[in-house]
Amino acid sequence: MRLHEHEAARLFQQAGIPVPPFAVARTGDEAVAALERVQLPIVIKAQVLVGSRGKHGGIVVAETPEEVREKARALLGSSVRGLSVESVMVARKVSIGRELYVGATIDPAAGAITVILGVVGGIDVETIAHERPEALFRLTVVPPDELRGYQARALAHEAGFRGDLMVKIADVLVSLFRVFRKTDALIAEVNPLVVTADEALWAVDAVLDVDDSALFRHPELPGDSLARMEHPLERAAKQIGVSYVDLDGDIAIISSGAGLGMATMDVVGQRLRPANFLETGGGITEELMYKVTQLVLEKPGVRGLLINLYGGINPIHEGAKGVVRVLREKQVKIPVVAKALGNRQEETWATLSEGGVTVVTDITTEAAVEALCAALESRR
Amino acid sequence: MSILLNKQTRVLVQGITGKIGRAQTKWMLEYGTRIVAGVTPGKGGERVEGVPVFDSVLEAVRETGAEASVFFVPARGVKDTVFETLEAGIRLVVVVTEHVPVHDTMEMKAEAKKVGATLLGPTTPGILTVGEAKMGIIPGNLFPKTSGPAGVISRSGTLSYEVGGILAKAGIAPSTVVGMGADPVVLTDLPDLLRFFAADPQTKLVTIVGEVGGVQEELAAEYIALEFRKPVVAYVAGRNTPEGKRMGHAGAIVQRGMGSVESKVASLEKAGVAIARTPAEIGTIARRLLR
Repeated sequence: MRLHEHEAARLFQQAGIPVPPFAVARTGDEAVAALERVQLPIVIKAQVLVGSRGKHGGIVVAETPEEVREKARALLGSSVRGLSVESVMVARKVSIGRELYVGATIDPAAGAITVILGVVGGIDVETIAHERPEALFRLTVVPPDELRGYQARALAHEAGFRGDLMVKIADVLVSLFRVFRKTDALIAEVNPLVVTADEALWAVDAVLDVDDSALFRHPELPGDSLARMEHPLERAAKQIGVSYVDLDGDIAIISSGAGLGMATMDVVGQRLRPANFLETGGGITEELMYKVTQLVLEKPGVRGLLINLYGGINPIHEGAKGVVRVLREKQVKIPVVAKALGNRQEETWATLSEGGVTVVTDITTEAAVEALCAALESRR
Repeated sequence: MSILLNKQTRVLVQGITGKIGRAQTKWMLEYGTRIVAGVTPGKGGERVEGVPVFDSVLEAVRETGAEASVFFVPARGVKDTVFETLEAGIRLVVVVTEHVPVHDTMEMKAEAKKVGATLLGPTTPGILTVGEAKMGIIPGNLFPKTSGPAGVISRSGTLSYEVGGILAKAGIAPSTVVGMGADPVVLTDLPDLLRFFAADPQTKLVTIVGEVGGVQEELAAEYIALEFRKPVVAYVAGRNTPEGKRMGHAGAIVQRGMGSVESKVASLEKAGVAIARTPAEIGTIARRLLR
């Protein structure tokens, strides 16, 4: 779950990272009221969960109360990169001397945490990595080890910082690492970390992406991860406990596994166009298959359904009942092809066939796609 | 011969009294797995499918000589249980559980490295040595009765079943099928699994079933180019996945241009690996490579 900037900024601030004074506003008046705590000039930032807000008009500067009201109002009514702006962050504008990058993330190759200090900042870290790799300094920390102060100072030293500034940067790194560990984060980032002319540091952006699998042990974090999903069908899928991705074709796909689902998309994609990708994981029941079958068919324009299941941990014979119940109740007329193999496969096939599903018993997904193409063809 | 697991291996099932634990214990026993004990804290003294249940791993190991463990433990309990299992001396652990916090996985991986244990997962279907034994949820009836020359390593569970079946259809039985897990951080990296197959005289060819996201295929390519001498065929799923979308598994995501099928295929090809463009192609390519 990605946190809003103001939520991340609050956590960073509590951990001791210097964050310019800020407030959150939902109306123009609230933005003006915030000036009691936040001195002009200020920056008004749209709180939407998307990158490059600056380039897309999501960040504006205001110097007078009138400007604050007007610009906050305008931003609050608008949308940034397709996301409507519900709230804005009003933050003290700091004078920018130099911009740095600090971040912590998971390094899948090492299976550990990478701490990164960049001597340039303000642009995407991927862009820095691509164009100026020598500007990034990294350190790997293997949990449960912490990032120690001396390690952070060594990293800042290696990056060319000396004196007070070296110590201050190291402190930010250590604090950021603590937030990263404490919140089960996947990414924690300050970009840019601003160095002012008098060598003060300010975190003028805050990114925190938390591991969804760990949310159960973080009651202190916002509990609306579901509401943060944009696509209504993706949200509905998450509620059922499955994973859904919306695509632009017209063939619905249900699979009992992500790898199998992607392979199904690969094979379908050779001849037809996938409308969506729904992956059940290991929790199939009759009810679950009933719900997900309805869900993938809800997408407008779907003209075929391919179901690709394996019964390992999943009771596919139960799932089959859910599928045919939808076909019967909703009087589904489009072709439905199923390949379902594994434990209790014969029982599964019988249920599906009786319910009007074309059953494929060959092991290859190609055979299932072939059957679906044939069924689509015969309806022309 | 096989890798990691055979019919002599004394297997422990953790979380054996849960619904899934019970059902899977039955399937594993039917396949021929030598399950000697189960553990569920608080349920010591019970029996599941005739298997004695203990309160702790240490007790189970002392009483039955269990040497490998498969987990049907809820995600929030996995880390604690892994530390308990390693402390009791077990050196092969299969974590079937999905949705394990990645920070926990990193700690478990560090501990496994420290004590020299092989941990598979999280989010793995487990391991199956054809005709001998299985730990995890791979359905045995999809594979031939007797084993053959093909080692299979897969990031995805259900896709490994399909590939096993495709190989069988091509007349090539697998030796051992290993699910390495689908999370962004896996407990044992792909090159380490390849090393086991390198040392197994029965395995003449290895099939890698990869998918978008992560760097495991790239790590494997480096290792193969350096020192792996057996022929390898690979399929990487997810050619048509949109960037920035998590395709089910937490690890299956093309982000910031990294982890795409193209980059994986390119590095594997450079290492001399034969690439299948669809799962079914694995059969024909494997046949050609074994000639």
